[in-house]
Amino acid sequence: MVEKTFEALFALEDLREVWRRTAPFHDLTKEQKEEVKAILNRARRALDEIEGEIR
Amino acid sequence: MSEGIRFELRAREELFINLEPLQRGGVVPAESRKVALSYVDGYSTCDYCLGTLHILKKPPICDFLTEVADFLGMDDAILTHGCREAKFAIMHAITKPGQAIVMDENRHYTSYVAAERAGLKTYEVPSTGYPEFKVNPEEYVNAIEKARKEDGELPALVLLTHVDWTYGNLADAERVGKICQEYGVPFLLNTAYSSGRMLINGKKLLADFITCSGHKSWAAGAGVVGILALRNEWKDKVFKPSQRYKVKPIEILGCSARGTSALVLMSSFPYVKERVKRWDEELEEARWFSRQMESLGDVRQLGDKPHNHDLMRFETPVFNRIAQKHKRRGYFLYEELLKRKIVGIKVGKTKSFDLSTYGLTKEQLGYVIDSLRDIINKPYREVYKL
Repeated sequence: MVEKTFEALFALEDLREVWRRTAPFHDLTKEQKEEVKAILNRARRALDEIEGEIR
Repeated sequence: MSEGIRFELRAREELFINLEPLQRGGVVPAESRKVALSYVDGYSTCDYCLGTLHILKKPPICDFLTEVADFLGMDDAILTHGCREAKFAIMHAITKPGQAIVMDENRHYTSYVAAERAGLKTYEVPSTGYPEFKVNPEEYVNAIEKARKEDGELPALVLLTHVDWTYGNLADAERVGKICQEYGVPFLLNTAYSSGRMLINGKKLLADFITCSGHKSWAAGAGVVGILALRNEWKDKVFKPSQRYKVKPIEILGCSARGTSALVLMSSFPYVKERVKRWDEELEEARWFSRQMESLGDVRQLGDKPHNHDLMRFETPVFNRIAQKHKRRGYFLYEELLKRKIVGIKVGKTKSFDLSTYGLTKEQLGYVIDSLRDIINKPYREVYKL
C-alpha cells in the first residue's frame, strides 16, 4: 500500500510537469491530452489498489 | 492546505510564466520532485551514516561528488549549504584575518560579506559602468598591484564572478585565471549563475576553486545547496578535518546539506548534464528576446551586447512614463503582467527590471513580448497623451 501511495504521488508529479510545460494557459495538444489521461490512469490504478487492500 | 501554512499554495511554475532571474535555473524537474517527496524528513540522507556526508555510499553522495568534480573539470568537490558558504569556507581556510582579497565590482553581496566574516580587506575591481558594466580582466592587475603596494604583500585570494546577478555579464575567467597564475595568487571563480547552465571547465579557466549554487543553476530546490570544487593541491587546507573528529571537515562544520536538497541536487544531475549541452539554444533564445524587447521602443538592454546569458537587465523608460501618470503608479506593470499570467518582474519596478529567459519556450517568451506590447499600446497612451 505504501508503494502504491508513492506511485500515485509520483504520477501526480508527472501531471504537474505537464501543467508546467504548458503554462500559463494549458492549451493541451492531442498528444498532451493522451499523456494526461495515461497519468490519471496510473494514479487511479494505484489508488484503486490501495482501496482494494483495505477492504 | 494545512493550518500550519498560512500563505497561499505556491504554483508559480504551473499557473504563470515566471521570469524571476533568481529562480529560473533552480526549477526542479519531475523526477527530482519525486525524490524530494520521499526524502523530505529530517536527516533523510543519514540512514546509512558513515560519519560524514561526503563519503556516504548510500545514497551514493561520494560517487556523485567524484562525478561533479569531473563535470566541473576539477579534482575534488564537497557539498555546502550554498555558494556563499562555499566562498566563505575557502576564504576562511586559506587566508588569515587582515589579509587582502581582490574581487569584481559586479560581485554578489555574499562575496563581500564572506570576506568581511573572514576578516579580509577587500580591493574591488571596477566595472566599466553604464551601460555595459563589463569587468575588464586587466583591471585585476591594477587591483592586485594596489593591494601589494598598500599591504606590502600580494592578496591572499582573487575572486571573479563568472556571470553577475545584475546584468548577466559573462566575465573572461580564463584571462583573470592567467593573471592570477602569473602573480601566484589563488583564484576563486564564483559560478552561481554559470555552472549548471553552461559547461564549465575549472582547470581550463585556471581556477583553483569553483563555487556553485544548486538552487540557482543546478535545478536543485528543496532547500539550499552548493558545491565547492577545487584542485588537489588545496584539498588538505580546505577539506581539513577537525583534530578531535577526524572524519569531519572543519570548514563545513562536519556535514553540510544533510537532507532533501542534497538528494535533489543528485537526482537533477543527469538532467543538468544534458541541459548544459543545449546552452547555445538557450543563449539564442535570450538574444532573440533581448532584440524583441528593444523593438518595443524606448527599451534598452544593459550589459554585454550581444548578450551572453539568459539573465538580463532592461532599462525601460517607456513603462516608467506610463507609471508616472497611471493611477496605480509603479505597481501598474506588475499588475498588468499578473493579469496576463506573467510573474517574476519585481513589484513597483518600471524604470528598469531584471528577468531571465532560462528554460522558457520560444512560444512562452513570444507571449511575454506580445503582452508587454499590449500593455504599452493600451489606451493610457491616448488617455494620458503619451
